[in-house]
Amino acid sequence: MLQAVIDSLIYGAELSLLAVGVTMVYGSLGFPNFAHVEFATLGAYLALLLCSLLGISLVPATLAALLGAGLVGVLADRLIFSRLRRATPIMLMITSFGLGIVLRELIRAIWGTSPHFYPVGLQKPVIIFGASITPVQIGIILAALVCMLGFHLLLNKTKLGIAMRSLADNPNLAEASGINTERIIRSVWLIGAGMAGLGGVLIGLDTQIHPNMGFGIIIPVFCAAILGGIGSPFGAVLGAAVVAFAQNIGLNINWAPLFGWTGLTSAESLYIPTGYKEAIPFLILIFVLLKRPQGIMGDVSR
Amino acid sequence: MIDFLVYLSTMVCIWGILSLSLNMQYGVTGLINLGHVAFFMVGAYVSTILVVIVGAPIFLGFVGAVAASAVIGMIFAAPTANLREDYWAICTLAFAEVVRLFFLNQPLQGQYVGASFGVSGIPRPLRELFSTQGYGYFYLGLAVLCLVLAYLLVEWITRQPFGRVLKALREGDELPLALGKDVGRFRIKAMALGGALGGAAGSLFAHYNAFIAPNYFLPLETFIVWGMIILGGAGNHLGAIVGTVVIQLMYNSTRFLKEIVAVDTSVLASLRMVVIGILIILVILFLPKGLLPERKRTYAARKNTAG
Repeated sequence: MLQAVIDSLIYGAELSLLAVGVTMVYGSLGFPNFAHVEFATLGAYLALLLCSLLGISLVPATLAALLGAGLVGVLADRLIFSRLRRATPIMLMITSFGLGIVLRELIRAIWGTSPHFYPVGLQKPVIIFGASITPVQIGIILAALVCMLGFHLLLNKTKLGIAMRSLADNPNLAEASGINTERIIRSVWLIGAGMAGLGGVLIGLDTQIHPNMGFGIIIPVFCAAILGGIGSPFGAVLGAAVVAFAQNIGLNINWAPLFGWTGLTSAESLYIPTGYKEAIPFLILIFVLLKRPQGIMGDVSR
Repeated sequence: MIDFLVYLSTMVCIWGILSLSLNMQYGVTGLINLGHVAFFMVGAYVSTILVVIVGAPIFLGFVGAVAASAVIGMIFAAPTANLREDYWAICTLAFAEVVRLFFLNQPLQGQYVGASFGVSGIPRPLRELFSTQGYGYFYLGLAVLCLVLAYLLVEWITRQPFGRVLKALREGDELPLALGKDVGRFRIKAMALGGALGGAAGSLFAHYNAFIAPNYFLPLETFIVWGMIILGGAGNHLGAIVGTVVIQLMYNSTRFLKEIVAVDTSVLASLRMVVIGILIILVILFLPKGLLPERKRTYAARKNTAG
């Protein structure tokens, strides 16, 4: 069970880095950005490029990838989304889906379909109370924590962060209060896409780097963002934790007593098949949307 | 070359039905269904299961596919009553993925039929009556017939009072509600109708291709259908078909590029998608109403001015 907790912590850390950007863009510009997960893929490949081709060590390469993904996010906004500020959310959604395809397929065309790995070598896991964790995985959790802490300080202690929060919470009110919304939107894209880029590097470190690594987790990421309440970065982190724990622990629970009690089955053990792992966040998503559409941290009055 | 043209035309017809069905849901009713491939998949799989595993005649498989997809459409529509439209859109994307996960994990017969192996050897209707080339023409005729029937059906429905209520729904719930229409029921009907058409396309595809596997039904396919109707002009049924022709032409004819430029096939496949993605973005930026914009009908606006 401890192993499931550790796995959930790692997965939750990765998800939250992506979900924060989704929720900020969704709150500020009013559309679900389906291209957001591609910034993670982009970040992972940028770091790989710097790492293995130019021989830069992993930490500076990661920082550069973070910046690179963030700049591509700003560029996407300047070139495409800034021209569509008055378009309906439907059009923005389809546009973002189109942009997502363009980014993903460009990456596939350049680097190919086969998976890549960062040059970190084989890791000897540390055993804690019977559960194993590699030093790299400890690094992943730490990196995500540091990034989240920095983001938290930015949001709560700086003028820019407060403006970002007010924009994500209520764009019209923010503009009426004299906030330069265009400038803040640029920062939202830079930080959101940059954090997604970092998330991508961490996923690549944890598993492997392949063109579908971003799009493959789009549903858990959106689930985390909606679960936390759109426009609430803290909620998105909480949502990511809920999704990650539900996915890993849901597979480790023996459901037989529950169903035996209702008389549906008499089997001794009943586990959710691993193939259905990805269905768990979807089921949570449906349940949350139907029962509490404003999310865990969302404001009830809206 | 002629064989390729016949293949291309057949694919245009099958995908034409698919884009007509999405146009019914999005273009006419305004439902942002991002899981449209689910209907195509359910249609293909139900038809295949009925014919290959149960042993039913192909026609029955087709009818079953249409019915099952209509039911899936109703299930899709069920949460629209309580959900914001963008949340519902995300739900449909997720729901289609769950349907795909189900077929990806579920062996249909023994260990090697269904699941990730897919199903092969799907019988083709009246195959024994034709030569290989003749059969291509026959199936093209069948597909054209289905497309024409589907087109006439959606055009007819759009002109009916029922179709006008759907169009009113697209502009917002207030007006239909004020007229005493049960908006939930109309949405369910629109989704069922679109689903049924999508299922028909899926069944046609399964019996044409003779092989289906879960990786034919990735979320990407939904996006391609969206590209078709956005390009053609949402709400205009003829536009949906024009969009299908353009995108299918681009999608299939770029494979000849590799004889001109020396690039790897998989790179070419990716670049093809890049081009389609850029095209969609450009259409939304510069031609938001599509190639054939929907004509706004005015109903007897001037008749009463005299009296």
